Amino acid sequence: MKALIGSVGYFNLTDLSAGPHVVEALQNETLASGVDVCDLSYGGPIGAVHRLNETKPPYERLVFVGGVENESGEAGYRWYRWTGKLPPPDEVQARVAEAVSGVLDLLSFPIVCQQFQALPEDVWIVEIDALDCGHGLEPSPPMKKLLPEICALVRRLAEEEDA
Amino acid sequence: MCFKNLPIDIDASGRMTLREEATRAFAVSQSPANAGPKPLSEASIKELLARNGYIKNVDFDPVTRVAGALAFHAVVDLKERKVLDTSSMATLFRGYEVIMNGRDPRDAVFITSRACGVCGGVHSIAAVKAIEMALGLVPPPLGIVVRNLMLAMEFNYDHPLHLFLLAGPDYSQLVVESSNPSVWAKAKTYEARGRDMHGYRTLAEIMTDLNPLSGKLYVEALGMTRVAREAYVVLGGKYPHPETIVPGGVSTTVSLQTFNEYYVRLQQLFDYSKKVVAIWDDLTEFFYACDPLYKKCGQRPGNQAELGLWDDPEAYDASFANCDNWGEKRWSTPGVFINGELVTTKLTAINAGLEEFVEHSYYEGWDGKRFAKDPLGNPLSPYHPWNKETKPKPVGQNWKEKYSWACSPRWDRQTVEAGAYTRLWATAAARKMPKNDFCEATGKSLRFQLPKVQLPEMEMEWKIPEVWNTFERNRARACAILFNNAVAMNNWLQGLNYLKQGKTEVSTPFEIPKRGTRIGVGYSGAGRGWLSHHVELDGGVVANYQIVTPSTINASPRDVWGNPGAYEQAVLSTPILEEFDRPEDFKAVDVLRTLRSFDPCMPCTTHVYAGTRVISREINTCACGVDD
Repeated sequence: MKALIGSVGYFNLTDLSAGPHVVEALQNETLASGVDVCDLSYGGPIGAVHRLNETKPPYERLVFVGGVENESGEAGYRWYRWTGKLPPPDEVQARVAEAVSGVLDLLSFPIVCQQFQALPEDVWIVEIDALDCGHGLEPSPPMKKLLPEICALVRRLAEEEDA
Repeated sequence: MCFKNLPIDIDASGRMTLREEATRAFAVSQSPANAGPKPLSEASIKELLARNGYIKNVDFDPVTRVAGALAFHAVVDLKERKVLDTSSMATLFRGYEVIMNGRDPRDAVFITSRACGVCGGVHSIAAVKAIEMALGLVPPPLGIVVRNLMLAMEFNYDHPLHLFLLAGPDYSQLVVESSNPSVWAKAKTYEARGRDMHGYRTLAEIMTDLNPLSGKLYVEALGMTRVAREAYVVLGGKYPHPETIVPGGVSTTVSLQTFNEYYVRLQQLFDYSKKVVAIWDDLTEFFYACDPLYKKCGQRPGNQAELGLWDDPEAYDASFANCDNWGEKRWSTPGVFINGELVTTKLTAINAGLEEFVEHSYYEGWDGKRFAKDPLGNPLSPYHPWNKETKPKPVGQNWKEKYSWACSPRWDRQTVEAGAYTRLWATAAARKMPKNDFCEATGKSLRFQLPKVQLPEMEMEWKIPEVWNTFERNRARACAILFNNAVAMNNWLQGLNYLKQGKTEVSTPFEIPKRGTRIGVGYSGAGRGWLSHHVELDGGVVANYQIVTPSTINASPRDVWGNPGAYEQAVLSTPILEEFDRPEDFKAVDVLRTLRSFDPCMPCTTHVYAGTRVISREINTCACGVDD
């Protein structure tokens, strides 16, 4: 299985930077053959389109992972398979324009990549609920506790044939 | 006289002296002459809002519609079709200057590069130049050539993205047909002058292919950015954030093969640039023909500043002492324009005139006593980046007081703007660019000789426009692709010559001195224009680091004297030409075109804090309002 784990998110935003934290941790692990891991934030969704188009043979599976703001007040995470259903064109263009001006958003990645036919069929999104969205190099303590579990999930989604 | 507001005299040798004692000289009590539109007073706006139902607060938050780091507030009189007041707000603080303190200067190359995910290599180059100046480190000629080639391709990646994915949709059939039906009606029969170049018979055909997501021009631009990116990677190994840009040159291996791989892509971009210029020429002239008032959209005085770019490998010695000399030998000439007049091309003067103010930004002031003079003995303001300290202090947003994470850079205490177009303007007007086969500065224009690829060999010309407005910014940005390619071609040939001569070194070894204080500045440029990194090293580590980006210059809030920033001025002068019957149908397309004409790049501007804010809105465009 040729798969890519790609994180999305600004650095130094405590739990909102959970995506890059996951990727940083996975980069120190030995992953299954054919599984690549990288931070897709730099270059943004357009950079991701280019990268995915250039990869030969193409990835068969893609796992996007990133922090999202939530109001529950609890650190947590959820994952789901990307349906491939695009929002209305106005919203897609808004996300492209945003990408071009340097703004990062987890869902903009699958949306923009889907729009330009750069996605494989099998795409997963892992959303990590940020408890603390303020400035900080490290995740919050509850998030720190949760990260190994999230890393294991992300690995499973990327590595297992029948994820 | 170069300075009108700062009391600095310059003698024939370029030496600057203060006309009065420093504390008085740099006092901010006196308001500078600052041409440009001014907003109404707060009291007048309140009164108008209270008694006139056609005057509305309009918030664009974010300007990019989904999330984003730029918000824009305007008060618009929909009956008179005028903008009365504007405020530009950067909503993120990223703190790269703070992160740099106490670090090994070599880290700056990699860390500051991350200030932006759009301009993926320019901060690295500005950082190495600052370090090279501080250390007295001169790269070998081929190293400089390779950096020049990389920069040209970075801009070739950047400009098409802006022109067709960000700005282009504002001129597309989908937008124009709904915002200005009469303009769309004319476009259906208006013949395109550049048909031979781009193949479109009418403006309506161009506009249809500018449609977002599906338009041919839109999709083609996405493809061409990939070509530029590939060319960059051939030399730089990686984009964004190349790890091969190092103080003293580059760490990449260059050969005839890499040069050839670069050239194949450069050829494609040459043809593409001919087409892009013809398209934006046609669009600009068409809108002017539809209504001359379009010339007033986004109009600002001709106040612009540029540091120049693309060093001459035989002249660049990284020293401050010689920066006026090597600066003027760059492929694009440094320059400041005030009211359309080129007032200086000297980097020392451009540097001395730069100040940053934070009266309307979420920062505290500083004492400004680090350096009274630059390395040549020229006076420095306490507000100069070498004297500035970044002290974030978030407070509640208030349009009269503090409302932005961007600070207010000013030159000679005047609002200037920066852009790829300033690069063209300064080079054209100064007539100092090196003699070459592909581009000539005439004083009033830049004339390009473009080689045959698929399209025939041809001459194209960018003329300094009579007015600086929304349309001319985009037209000039299209021509900037021609300029990038001309510069790339010259550097490619020069690089081949060095290879032929056996001058294959691309970097100079160095060590970081562990003692003493040293300062440096990276005079550089991003796709959007001016980019400077000012560094102070003390005991081998960074004691202070200050970045001024083009979008900080353009998106700046009001300054200490209440004078608006460039976005704010440009929108103030924008007439509302959109066609609508009811206020609720107002889409603000003219305002959005103006904002986007600057090619806003907000991550750069707001060098991480997700502040809370409450913005009330009476009319919202398709932008999402934020009430968090």
